[in-house]
Amino acid sequence: MTGSLHIGLAALGSAIGVGLVGAKAAEATGRNPGASGPILTAAIIFAALAEGVVFIAIFLGKSGM
Amino acid sequence: MNFRRFLLAITLIVALPMPALFAAADGNAASSTETAAKHGDDAHGHEGGHHGLPKNAVPLFFEYKVDVQVFDDAGEPVMKDGKPETKEKLLFAITNSMVVTWIVALGLILVAQIATKKPKLVPSGLQNFVEWIVESLIGFFEGILGAKLARETFWFFGTIFIFILFSNWFGLIPGVGTVGWAHGNPGFFHSEHLSAPLFRGVNADLNMTAAMALFFFALWIFWSLKAIGPGGFFLHIFNVKGHGFTVMGIFLLLIYIFVGVVEVVSISVRPVALMFRLYGNVFAGENILETVMALGGPYFGWLAVLPFYFLELLVGFVQALVFALLTAVFTSLMCSHHDEDHAH
Repeated sequence: MTGSLHIGLAALGSAIGVGLVGAKAAEATGRNPGASGPILTAAIIFAALAEGVVFIAIFLGKSGM
Repeated sequence: MNFRRFLLAITLIVALPMPALFAAADGNAASSTETAAKHGDDAHGHEGGHHGLPKNAVPLFFEYKVDVQVFDDAGEPVMKDGKPETKEKLLFAITNSMVVTWIVALGLILVAQIATKKPKLVPSGLQNFVEWIVESLIGFFEGILGAKLARETFWFFGTIFIFILFSNWFGLIPGVGTVGWAHGNPGFFHSEHLSAPLFRGVNADLNMTAAMALFFFALWIFWSLKAIGPGGFFLHIFNVKGHGFTVMGIFLLLIYIFVGVVEVVSISVRPVALMFRLYGNVFAGENILETVMALGGPYFGWLAVLPFYFLELLVGFVQALVFALLTAVFTSLMCSHHDEDHAH
């Protein structure tokens, strides 16, 4: 079996992270619908940060092998 | 809206992709030998019967190759028959993704021209539609960037959103990716074992997304320097001020310098993350469609693929939104702080 376990683990972690961001963003919008604009912005930023982990993992994996 | 800027942005973005950059730099077996993939030499054997896209866009026309020396792992030139061995390296080619890029750009330019040819005070038809898109977009960006900055930079963010959205959706039109030159079969209309499709989704090519991300990054530096100046730029990243030379002050200074270094890393990862997010989503989406289509068999492939097709329509929109929104947020993080500081 071949593969890149570290990329899978990073994807798992960042998927959980993005899920949490999305869940909390939806919850926050439900509590305060008026603030949906700033919530969307913040959610996208943090989702992007959480997602970035995967790319770093892919790069480190490529250069390390 | 100033459509000359719209044209300029599209032209710049379309002209930027360096088609052979990633195709040639790719270290694995898919390098120079596979540039001949349209003749079906080994593209299919490489994938081992798997129904999937090749990782890179396939060169179609005007392949320009140079001979480069081959070096071994120790950096010594490899000798063959007493001469340094050379191999072909692809420098420039028109790939199938570039073809689609030009088609989409041309379509957008034409629609923009036609819609504003005879502008009416009370818009109707196409002009109404285009104005609706542009006005809702600018309202959206004003919420993030503020009215002044949004008007200044809308030519980029608006173009990037519209262009990514329509190129993602263009890639979903049936026929894109299924018409082209087939492996071991010179026929043109032959969807099985296709090795060089005539069309390929624009953002399923890393060169395109890289061009957009790097173009944005250059603009981001320009806008930041214009808004807060070189000193403000530096101070924004390394927030070293307002602490005396006490023990605690020096300790805090070290922490702020460390935070600045982290900030530099985070900023330099941004374009990389931008380009790979878009490429990864679109490329994976096309692969999902192909795999599920093969799963459904020859008769029910269209039915199996239908839910994923709508998913991809949604993903195409969301990724265009994410790209435009993230670039706008990065700009506003750097450029609007200054105004807030003065307002206090």
